[in-house]
Amino acid sequence: MSASAPVQFRNTTLGATVAVLQATEPPALADALHKMFGGMPDFFNGEAVILDFAALAEVPSSIDWAGLNSLMRRYRLQPIGVFNLPPEHGEGARRAGLAQLDEAVTGNPRQIETPAPARAPEPPAAAPQAPAPSPQPATASTMFIDRPLRSGQQIYARGADLVLVGGVSPGAEVIADGSIHCYGPLRGRAIAGAQGDDRARIITSNFGPELVSIAGVFRTFERGIPETIAGRAAQVRLSGTENTLNIEALQPI
Amino acid sequence: MKVIVITSGKGGVGKTTTSAAFASGLALRGYKTAVIDFDVGLRNLDLIMGCERRVVYDLVNVVNGEARLNQALIKDKHCENLFILPASQTRDKDALTEEGVEKVLEELQHMGFDYVVCDSPAGIERGAVMALTFADEAVVTSNPEVSSVRDSDRILGILQSKSKRARDGGEPVKEHLLITRYSPKRVDEGEMLSYKDVQELLRVPLIGVIPESESVLHASNQGTPAIHLKGTDVAEAYADVVARFLGEERPLRFVNYEKPGLIKRLFGGK
Repeated sequence: MSASAPVQFRNTTLGATVAVLQATEPPALADALHKMFGGMPDFFNGEAVILDFAALAEVPSSIDWAGLNSLMRRYRLQPIGVFNLPPEHGEGARRAGLAQLDEAVTGNPRQIETPAPARAPEPPAAAPQAPAPSPQPATASTMFIDRPLRSGQQIYARGADLVLVGGVSPGAEVIADGSIHCYGPLRGRAIAGAQGDDRARIITSNFGPELVSIAGVFRTFERGIPETIAGRAAQVRLSGTENTLNIEALQPI
Repeated sequence: MKVIVITSGKGGVGKTTTSAAFASGLALRGYKTAVIDFDVGLRNLDLIMGCERRVVYDLVNVVNGEARLNQALIKDKHCENLFILPASQTRDKDALTEEGVEKVLEELQHMGFDYVVCDSPAGIERGAVMALTFADEAVVTSNPEVSSVRDSDRILGILQSKSKRARDGGEPVKEHLLITRYSPKRVDEGEMLSYKDVQELLRVPLIGVIPESESVLHASNQGTPAIHLKGTDVAEAYADVVARFLGEERPLRFVNYEKPGLIKRLFGGK
């Protein structure tokens, strides 16, 4: 087959989010999703999702595939397949365009929950890692938030680093299992290493948070932020054997 | 047709004054404009527009199908192209449904309206959410003080999550920042946030600064939108806002404090 064929097939390993469903009725799921992500419809960024039916309490007599599909799309998730589907619903899933992936995936299909692996120390004035906020491949362990995060909003980057391009307002909360990078004023609460990764850091171009926390070690700024770092580029990390929070200005080179 | 919500989170910052002046300004430019009061239960827009004695039917009547839209629309006494849809004073905000509001907006579109200005109630509850749900653009009104700025920030977040544009994942609602009740003198004396401070905190493009003025109070009491007060700084500032909204370039005015000169100080004067 020549390389100029209009279609080519390649093998790939695709990272996808798995949605473990305990119910299949779209209204019940919609309620639950609204509770989880109501304030952030962009929590998922067009990621591929696999619907896992292993946790169903009982096998429903019918499944509203169109409803499930459109519900997932509303949260910017793209259903691509199913796991552990009761066999009587296989035909419905096939007609809804969903692949049965049980054989295709071996091992634990759950999304990686361990903290991101150690990275080489970054140069202080590092540019944003990806200049274009284009759709990330589903495997990227970085979440990008392009708009300013407003008071009352909350973002959680599960198993990922969090990059905030527009800054964080007072009263907003950003949480990441990995590190938090904020290219704009960081004025809300920033919680990095939420699952206990003590190598996580918080880096911002304009330091002014209400609270910073790394791996559970936190600090508030009741008496104001020290003048040497207020409003400046700064980095927060844990240091020493006692794991104390170390906040330092980033020196322009 | 474009739907613009005038919102703020906090109460008393000048949403209704702005809605009346902004809608009047659009109508004066020749656009067929409707202004809707979403503050069900605490209606005020009819007073500011000076049409409180002509209210027969209201928004809730139309939403519930008890009256037709053209029965409820009140023609403004100052502008040819301006219509007011008042809120109900006897109901509460739960009387509004998303479907009902959508139907009213669709009908306004059929009637050939160019702009619909939605006067939002204070707060972040149902009334405010209903007012911003269908917005294409938002004018977030803020006073130069921290609690107002914080509430404006909150409402910007709600715009990003609860507006129909956000839910459908389309083009986000276009945001404008309007700073009202601005006193350059108090800014100069360090008692008030400057407009630059507010803009820096909210990071939203500034559409205008309305100076604090006693004439706004007079205008409200007379039922005349502030934009009609010929020769006042407030009227000119609102006219600038409308011009900028329509894409014209206007330099920012009424933001600098000029210390009164020696002669003025000696002989008094305003």
